[in-house]
Amino acid sequence: MATSGAAEVDPGDRERQQHDRRRLASSLTARYSDWVLEALDELPGSFLLTDPSLAGHPIVYASRGLAALTGYPRREVLGRNARVFQGTATDRAAVAGVREAVRAQRAHQVAILNYRRDGSPHWVLLHLAPVFQARDGSLLHFLAVQVPIDAARRRAGAGRGAPGAVLAACREEARVDEDFPCASHAGKVFVDMDKRGLEAEEPCVASDSEKEKATNTANSIVSALNRYSKLTSLVVSGKRCDSVGIPALSSSLNLSVGRIKQSFVLTHSCLPDMPIIYASDAFVSLTGYSREEILGCNCRVLNGPGTSLEVFEEINQHICSEQACTVDLLSYRKDGSSFRDLLHVSPIRDASGKVAFHIWVHLDVGAKHDFNGLTPEVWQLGAVGAVRVAVRGLSASGSLLRPSQ
Amino acid sequence: MVSASKVEGEYSLLRKNSPLDQPEGVKTHLYCFSVEHGNDNLKSFVCSEQCGPSLLDTILLSQWDNFAWKGHLDYDVTACQLKVIEGGRNFVGQLNSKWNSFSPKEYDKFFESFRCLKPNSMKSYEGLLLCIAQGEKDRPEVAPSASPPKDGLLLIANEYPVEYGHIFLVPTAVNQLSCYWDKRMFGLATKIASEVNNAAFRVFFDSGTSVMSDRMFFQACYFANPLPVESASTVAVHDGKARSDIIVSETVDYPLKALVFTSNNLKALVNVVSEICFSLHDNTAAYSLLISNNGTKVFLFPQVKNLVAGCSLPAWECGGYFVYHTRSEFDNASETEISNRMASASLQDGAFEDLKHLCCAIADDLIK
Repeated sequence: MATSGAAEVDPGDRERQQHDRRRLASSLTARYSDWVLEALDELPGSFLLTDPSLAGHPIVYASRGLAALTGYPRREVLGRNARVFQGTATDRAAVAGVREAVRAQRAHQVAILNYRRDGSPHWVLLHLAPVFQARDGSLLHFLAVQVPIDAARRRAGAGRGAPGAVLAACREEARVDEDFPCASHAGKVFVDMDKRGLEAEEPCVASDSEKEKATNTANSIVSALNRYSKLTSLVVSGKRCDSVGIPALSSSLNLSVGRIKQSFVLTHSCLPDMPIIYASDAFVSLTGYSREEILGCNCRVLNGPGTSLEVFEEINQHICSEQACTVDLLSYRKDGSSFRDLLHVSPIRDASGKVAFHIWVHLDVGAKHDFNGLTPEVWQLGAVGAVRVAVRGLSASGSLLRPSQ
Repeated sequence: MVSASKVEGEYSLLRKNSPLDQPEGVKTHLYCFSVEHGNDNLKSFVCSEQCGPSLLDTILLSQWDNFAWKGHLDYDVTACQLKVIEGGRNFVGQLNSKWNSFSPKEYDKFFESFRCLKPNSMKSYEGLLLCIAQGEKDRPEVAPSASPPKDGLLLIANEYPVEYGHIFLVPTAVNQLSCYWDKRMFGLATKIASEVNNAAFRVFFDSGTSVMSDRMFFQACYFANPLPVESASTVAVHDGKARSDIIVSETVDYPLKALVFTSNNLKALVNVVSEICFSLHDNTAAYSLLISNNGTKVFLFPQVKNLVAGCSLPAWECGGYFVYHTRSEFDNASETEISNRMASASLQDGAFEDLKHLCCAIADDLIK
């Protein structure tokens, strides 16, 4: 993978390089509008996009922040596999986790030891998220956000930098012939784990705020992609909208909750990451997301810059303690516009008395509503009550309550 | 459903009431029905499947859930396990160690606090969710903060709910005479069932005994699924469809004998059932009522009189819904045991035949 010595390349090589560059650029522009690059450039944070459909699963976009964090200028990482950031002391287990997430096409967060261009190691929280085409659920890109982990909290001793740099330089040689030929690149890893150094550094733990920062950066990028995908009539979302994976509501429940006028979603409390399994008509018109896009997503999908992490943490705490809460939040529509969101989240129990769903009632505070003399906070609860009644009659399997045999 | 126009400030009805018997200072959410236009209840019933929840339904659920969320209830009834008891009848059992059936005396104490609604005498006021009265406008009206009119029903949250949304419906004017059976209040309760327009919403009435004879009140709550009695087969004993829109039937093969009054004509339904209740009261008979199917169906459960409580079974038990305090009771609940309990409260054949004839006679009478 020669990235230097461009002066001596023959015209054929140059042509091939130009062709490669066009190919990389079109990975984004063919799916989003031409302005997507400018829009991404304006987003803060260190992140990159990779295209699993191209040979070698190359990086097709690198943010400005990435250059500052890693020391790699953009032109040096484009076209290369993201493993370029890994080095000798990078933990094998962490790498294996990343590989597994790529293969399973799911989001993943892990603290990992990366190496800068000058060979110095640094801990980052890597947030990996697949980007799917909403219509058919096909995988378009992987998004990788790197959030530096506060150096003061690192447990690793000094003196790691120097040997790391040397080894990293050696490894550069070893990587050259590793481009896989093709077929399914999606399963291919960002890093080649077999050559990882054995003396992995003490694992470093990211703080909650770093985790949330990574998640929020990822969400704002996905929402930017969403915005710009609209222009080429193609939509993406942070989570595959896979109807197979999302349990359908029973028809009786669908019928009874379908009558409710308020804007709300139901999330499944027992599935990982609490995916949305139902969205009301009012929610669809409030946020601009179609039902197909939103089903299977986590409620974070409405987050964006300025969405309070503390408030989201507060919601999480209430969810954990099976309590209801009402919060004031900044949420984002699909088109990127924001609204003041009066959000009520409440656990909903089925006939067994166990929490089966959570209801998230969203209210655009800025819009005109007639609450018939109730406060907006109380008005929202009408939807909650109606859903409670409907779900109360369902057994744990989601069907109507029947005699147990 | 239609959305109501908001009335600012005091509600006009207040002016009709003399200041003396008007509870002062107490403000609550007031919902006033639109003026009756002949037989328009049928329309709202037809609408129920396509339209969203009615305004009254939404307000009631909002207020109740808010009350529950604020921690005023002793327990979360939706956390109580439900099961369908094995056997053909699908009786429902609920495991609820905290449920507390008021004894008649406690009822008395409870309503004493609502007897005279004065601002200072009533400290715990959160339980009052709503007041409902008949209005005079073409559309239902909502006043966010109004004094309850004298001829209204107060909707008060039950702190020991049997099911979600459990409320008491208590006449505002509890001091007036002859309130053991007030046809107007029964009409209002039936109309609430119709206007809530939610199949899950049921209204109950249990006839009083000597202990509570001066207290008429209804209860209501939301049951997600049909109650067993609602699925029981019936046979018509009086078909007045052609003349009065009323069908009187009796349940067949249900352990508790029951009469069912069905009509889309709310007024006729109220007239007939009310007349029967008057006569049952005159005979100090014990009975329970269940208003279901959006106010178009009334079940009458005459019961063998229990000396202490009047009715042996509360109306929801008549309908086939039982609360168990302990896990072992809940696990061992059997259809046989329930059927026996119902049968022992059920009227003797002869007495039931008499009641049936009375009902048919009253239904016939009111047509003329």
